Parts: sequence; C-alpha cells; structure tokens
Amino acid sequence: MNLKEHTKKLAEKEEKRRSKWTGLLLILIAVAFLEAISVVQAFYAQKGIRSEAQTKAESQLNSIKSGILNVVNQAESAVRNNVWLAQWSLMVPDSLANIPKLIVNNNPIVAGSTIAMVPNYYKKRPLYSPYTAITNGEIIETSLATEEYDYPSQEWFTKPIELDRGYWSEPYIDTGGGEILMTTYSVPVKDNKGRIAAVLTADIDLEWLKALVNDIQIYPGAFSTVVSRTGRLMVSPEDSLIMNTTIDEYASKVEDTASFNALNRAMLSRKSGSIRVTQNGKKNMVYYTPIDKTGWAMNIIIPEKEMFAGLKKLNNLIRLLQLLGLLLIVLIFRSIAKSQLRFKSISDKKEKMENELKIASDIQMSMIPKTFPPFPEREDIDLSAALVPAKEVSGDLYDFFIRDEKLFFCIGDVSGKGVPASLLMAVTRSLFRSVGAHNNNPNEIVSTMNNSLSDMNESNMFVTFICCVLDLKTGKMQYSNAGHNAPLLFTDRMSELPVNPNLPLGVIRNWEYSVQEVTLRYDDAIFLYTDGITEAENINHELFGIERLKKTLSGKKAAQAHLNNVKKAVAEFVGEAPQSDDLTMLFFHFLNASAKGGGEQSITLENNVNEIRKLEKFISEVAQQMQLAESVKTSLNLAMEEAVSNAILYSGSKTVEVAAQTGKDEITFTITDSGKPFDPTAVPEADVNQDAAERPIGGLGIFLYRKIMDSVTYKRLNDKNILTLTKRLN
Amino acid sequence: MKTKVTKEEGKITIAFIGRLDTPAAQEVNPVINELMEEADKTIIIDCKEMAYISSSGLRIFLTLRKAAEDKKGKVIIENINDEIRSVFMMTGFLNLFEIR
Repeated sequence: MNLKEHTKKLAEKEEKRRSKWTGLLLILIAVAFLEAISVVQAFYAQKGIRSEAQTKAESQLNSIKSGILNVVNQAESAVRNNVWLAQWSLMVPDSLANIPKLIVNNNPIVAGSTIAMVPNYYKKRPLYSPYTAITNGEIIETSLATEEYDYPSQEWFTKPIELDRGYWSEPYIDTGGGEILMTTYSVPVKDNKGRIAAVLTADIDLEWLKALVNDIQIYPGAFSTVVSRTGRLMVSPEDSLIMNTTIDEYASKVEDTASFNALNRAMLSRKSGSIRVTQNGKKNMVYYTPIDKTGWAMNIIIPEKEMFAGLKKLNNLIRLLQLLGLLLIVLIFRSIAKSQLRFKSISDKKEKMENELKIASDIQMSMIPKTFPPFPEREDIDLSAALVPAKEVSGDLYDFFIRDEKLFFCIGDVSGKGVPASLLMAVTRSLFRSVGAHNNNPNEIVSTMNNSLSDMNESNMFVTFICCVLDLKTGKMQYSNAGHNAPLLFTDRMSELPVNPNLPLGVIRNWEYSVQEVTLRYDDAIFLYTDGITEAENINHELFGIERLKKTLSGKKAAQAHLNNVKKAVAEFVGEAPQSDDLTMLFFHFLNASAKGGGEQSITLENNVNEIRKLEKFISEVAQQMQLAESVKTSLNLAMEEAVSNAILYSGSKTVEVAAQTGKDEITFTITDSGKPFDPTAVPEADVNQDAAERPIGGLGIFLYRKIMDSVTYKRLNDKNILTLTKRLN
Repeated sequence: MKTKVTKEEGKITIAFIGRLDTPAAQEVNPVINELMEEADKTIIIDCKEMAYISSSGLRIFLTLRKAAEDKKGKVIIENINDEIRSVFMMTGFLNLFEIR
C-alpha cells in the first residue's frame, strides 16, 4: 500500500515535471514558429518593399529622364531646325551670324548659340564663330573666334565633326554670367558638296536639371545624382562636388569602394539596374539608368532604413501582436494545463480510478450469483441475496450453491475496501466454491479456506465469514463461523443464531473452527448479513442498528421482499449521508414441506404388505426421536399403517415413499405413491354408529387416520398421490 | 403375530399375541376362516397379549361379529388395553362388541 502510494506519487511528480517541460517546449516551439512567420513575412515584405521601391525609383528615373529628354529634344530641335538654314547661309558668310541669334531668340531654353566655321573654310575668315548669348535677359552678340579660346580645339566643335552627328558636350561651369552649369549641343553643318563646313551649337543652361531631379522625393533621405559620360557629377546633393569630382574619385573616397565602382562601371557603360551600396555606414539601394542622347546617366539613392521604415513599423506592430498572442497562448496553455493538472489530480484520476473500480466491481459482481430466484424449479428454497457496494468495489461477498441436496451458502466481509479487498473477496469466493465442491462439513471448509488465506495473506487482511451447509431434506444445518456477526434466525420467533466467534479467515493458520448445528423446519428462515447494514450511518452519525433491522424483517415475507425492505429502510435511514460500507445480505427461507418438523426422515416401501413392519419401525424411531408418549406413537403408527397399507394394497404403485417431518409441535407424514389416483379425503366418513350388520368391512382405515390425524390433505402431483398427514402434538 | 385358539364346550377362545397389523391380519386369515365355521358358538377374543390393532384387525373382529350374528353366535372381546380401547372407541366398536 505504502509502496504503491509512493510509486503513484513519484509517477505524479514525474508527470508534473514532464508536463512542465512539455509546456516550456511548446512555448519555445510557438515562439520559433512565430519568429519563422515573422522572418518569412519580413522576407516577403522586404521583397515587396524592394520591388515597390524599385518601381518607385524607376518611375522616378523615367520621369526625370523624360523631363531631361524633353529639354534635350527641344534643344536638339532648336539646332537641327536651323541646320538647313545654315547650309543655305554658307553662301553668304555674313548672314551666318543671324542663325545663332535666331536660335537663342526662338528657344528660351537655349542660353547661347554659335555657328563655328571649320577653320579656313572661308579663306578670308580662317576662324569664324559668331555667338549670341542671353545673360540676365540681355542678348549679347560676340564672337568665339578669339586666340585665347581657340574654338577649333573645343570638344563641342571637334566631336560632332569627328562623329559626323549631333553631340552633347561634357557639361561645364560657365563663369560668364555667374557659375552656371551648362552643356552644349552641337551639330555638324555640311555644304552642298557634303563637306562639313561648320558646327551649329546651342548652349543649354542645366540649372533646371537640378530642380527637376530634386523635385520628386520618393523616400525621405532619397536623392538622385546625374553624371556625365565621363563620370562627372552634374547633379548631386553636395554642390561642392558638382563637376569637381568624378564618381570614380568619389568611390575611392568612400568605405564601400567596391560597390561604388561596380555602380560606376554599370552607369558609365549605360546600363540600367540596381545595386546596394553602403554609405556612411548605412545601406542604400541605388537604382540607375542611362539618359539617351546625352551620354549621361542618373541614379536614385534610397537609404534602406527609410525604404523599410514602413516595414519596420509594420514589423514592430506585428511583433507586438505576436507577442500579445503568444502571451495569450501561454496564459491559456497555463490555465488549461493547470486545470488539466487539477482535473488529473482529482477528476481525471478519480474518473480513471472509478472506471477501473467499476470494471473490478463488475467482475466482482459477475462472480457472485445474481439471478433471483436462483433455483426457480425448487419449491423448497426461497433464497435471495444482495450486495450493494459502497461507492467503490467492496470486499463483501455472498455465495451459494446446491450439491447433493445440500445447500451451501456463505457470507463474508473482507477487511478494508477497494481493489485489494475485492481481490481477496474473489479469492475467498473461489476457495468457498472449490473446497465446498467436495466437502460437506462447514468447519472443514472454513478451516481449509483459512489455511489457504493465511498462506497467501501478506497484506494482513482478513475475512469474516460464515459457512452454512443445509441438508435440504432434513433441514439440518451445520455452520461454522469465522468471526462474522451472528445471522438472524426466524423460527416461530426471531432470534440471533448462536455462533461461536472463532477467528476471521486468514489470521492464524491451522485454527480449529468449531461446527454448530441447527435444524430448520418448514417456513423457517435465516438472514445472513454484513455489518454494513447495522453500521449504516446517517448524517447524525447514528447507526442503523440491529433493532431497526429486526423490525424491518418482522413478518412473513418472501426473501426478495425482505431484502428490498432492508435496502429501503437503510436508504431511508441513511438519507443524505454517503453509503459508508457495502450492504450485503442473504435471506434464505426454507420451504421444504417435508421438514415441517425440523427434520425429514423417509422410508421407501415396496409393494408388499409386510413392508408395514418397516413402516412400524420407522414410525417408532421417529416417535422415539421425538420422545413421544407411547399412546401417541401407537396412534401415529395406526394412522400411518392405515394410510400406507391402502397405498400398498390398492394403488398398484411399485413403491410407496413415506416421509416424516418432525417439528416442535407437530409431526407430518407424507405418503407418496405413483399408483392410480385415489383421494381418501373425498371418501365419505364412515358412520361409526351403524350396527354391525350395516357396517361395511372396509373404510375403517381411512376413517381411522382421518380421526387420528389433525389434518389430512391429498394432492395429485406429477402422477403421484401425495397424502400429507399432520398430527399436532401436546 | 401368533394366535392361540382354545376350544371349550360351547365357546372358542382365540388369543392374539403381538401386533395385529395388516400383515398379521393376512397371516391369521386361515385361522379366522376356520373360526368362522364355528360362529354359532361364543367366540371370545382375548386381547391380553395383543399390543396393537389396525383396521385389518378390526375387520377380522367385524367379520367374526357378522358371522356370529348370522349363525346366532356371539363374539366377546376381553382384556383390551387402553390404546386398543381408544381405537375401539373411535371406531364405534365399543358399541358393537361385548367387551369385558
């Protein structure tokens, strides 16, 4: 028991510990799972944000580019539209100066224009380049053909000739009217012989470009740069760098040179794309694209911090929500775990236990006979028994069986309750059956059972037990008590059956159990019960007690009715109080008509009149046993001789059975023959007052036994004549 | 059951010794049949050593009584014990017989 409890406790502890770790593990898994969701979600969100940023950047670049191209196209148009005029004007060199004037006047975006003649095209004017510029709204006409400027060596002049097409010059800072970023578009002009005669140009003020580029802010902190084909910065948030620094120089100065170099190479090779660069310790995404015609390239630089600022906010929000969710899950889990633990420790465990006990109880109940009446074919036995277990399985038992016209019955109460008690009960019951199968002596049955139980009894449990063996023919009942409470005996009154206490089973091996004897007569009864009945407690801790039991059992009733009454009485008495112990009882009502006396003796006579002598001897013995007066004996003998001799002489039955049931106050004889039906009680009583002549010779016998006996009844049953003669004594 | 028949002048005495039960009644039948022939005489039934009588015995007595009546004889019963007397009483035999 202790070991069992200890083991149980250890198991509970282990279970608690395990469930704690399981809980922790579950929480960790939940956290990891949520984190994984975060990561995946962040990954896709980043991807989305990146692609969104790219889209934004590209559209920004395109928008800027189209702004630039708009200007560029205007500028190109301004020049190209005047190329034919220039060609025509080549014939009239003086008129050439009108063309730049025209271009500047007609195109607001053009800040200056010249038509620079290929040196020595005109013999008279080896260098000729009339120039018109507009500075602060004032048109100035001048010539670029100065010795110090040397226009034929300028890029804007050489490149278009060299390339034989329009050309955008490298931007430059014009210092003529303040520091203005400029570029020049120049187109070669061919004469009618197809020779390049001059270069027509338009100077474009690039201040608008800065405004255009810096106009759109897609992310805070994002900015754009525009670089020339040589890699000079045309537009940059750092003004000091404009036209002073190439991007290669810039790249060499920053920490993430490699990335910048890669960016620069891509831009200078006029590719579109994106790259990640680190600047001042911060990551940036750079989207870049070339600008057609001009040879420029531009980019947008977006700090990732800003790019993902929204995402970060979102992430934080999500994390907060996840944390709250997790917290909620943990709380729910804990409360479930707690309630489950509680449930386990009380309800679940209890339920499991009760379930097991229910099974044990079912098994137990299936072992004891439960069908009542147990011997429906027998008229001499009215037996019923009940075992009402207290909540769980019990250690009570009853059992009964018939062998060789003997009724073996018992009741027992195993000390303690629960499964151990019920196991011992099962053992006790099977011992009763096995020992009772070949032994008719209750004391020997009990002794054998005691020895077996003592041998196997390591848990020091014991069984109080009563074993009864009733001879169903004679009503003689032998019984042996092993520490059980005395049964109630119902004869003409109710009394406690005298029992030797002896010792309960399983206490001391080889204890000698005494045997006792009582003779049950017809209509006598015995009530075996366990102390669960008398010790049933109500809420005031009063006991049901034997007096209440006796009162409940008063009156003649069928066994089952008695048991029902007891159950009901106990239930009513106990009321709200829980049933503390099993209610186990067995009521046996002895209804063997042959045993109206207390013992049946019988004799079987053959169909021979001399058998009357055996009858006489039989009657004498019965009378002797009953210590009847000689006269009574004689009259009984006479009556019986009359009745039996009739059966022998006239029934034709091969045998006649005579049974005597002796009681305290009466003796009953039953004469049974299987001859032809004859009911002597239907014969008219002989008239003893007739004189001799009138009197028939026969009929005296019937008259005599009807006269002698107090009652004579006849029944025909199963093709048998059954004549019952009863004589009251005293 | 034994019977002892003593014939004297004008009377025959039959003593039943033992129990005159049904088998005994059958046993003594031949003796009774002989006795019936002499029913014109006085038949004295001595019951001194008869312990018991059943209806078969009574029937014998009655048979004798009827035969005696037919033949103008007489049946006298002597020395009945109390038990037999009570049987006689019950059966009305006390009134049928001359009992001494």
